[in-house]
Amino acid sequence: MGLLGFEKLKDYLLIANPAEEPFGWLKAKGDTSIAFLVLNPFLIVPDYRPDIPEADVQFLGLNSVDDAMLLNIVTVHKGGQATMNLKGPIVINRNTGVGKQVVIANGADYSVQHPMLVSEGAA
Amino acid sequence: MLILSRKTSESIVIDGRIHVKIVRVEGEVVKIGIEAPADVPVHRHEVYEEIQRNNQQALVRPAVPLPKLITPKNKPTAAPVLKGIKS
Repeated sequence: MGLLGFEKLKDYLLIANPAEEPFGWLKAKGDTSIAFLVLNPFLIVPDYRPDIPEADVQFLGLNSVDDAMLLNIVTVHKGGQATMNLKGPIVINRNTGVGKQVVIANGADYSVQHPMLVSEGAA
Repeated sequence: MLILSRKTSESIVIDGRIHVKIVRVEGEVVKIGIEAPADVPVHRHEVYEEIQRNNQQALVRPAVPLPKLITPKNKPTAAPVLKGIKS
């Protein structure tokens, strides 16, 4: 597992708190200051079609689309606006728990800060 | 910075395991072939910068209120495309 800019951190916990669904948290093991808010990207962009490069498919040991779980990092901005990184999804092999942040091959089609519709006043 | 001169089809080796080859030179564009172990991520610099900057910005400070989502009505239908694997 690795995130761009955080290469030294390899172990993360994926935390799903029922009260916070559908959001989840990716927390670095052993460094409590590192936590990322993550979300299933298809909830935000139903027609999202990220191309996962073959080298990453092999590294993650993915044998079928069903093996892959995608979680994209959400940034909460000042004022409560939120964006999602569609260019660098975190792809996790459901069977092994191995994951990495993938730079998708069709990244030019997607933004690192895709605006998310949020209602006024955060939950 | 170490600067080396190379001709087309010549290469350099880094750390005995990363091979960087000049494949072709077309005007201002240089095609570079890189062979590296699977655990060595290779990225275009500007894309790497953009994503790692976003990661830094996304780092959650404690007690950030979660955004209240408005999700599209239509159910997700798409899936990633895994290169080299038929879906």
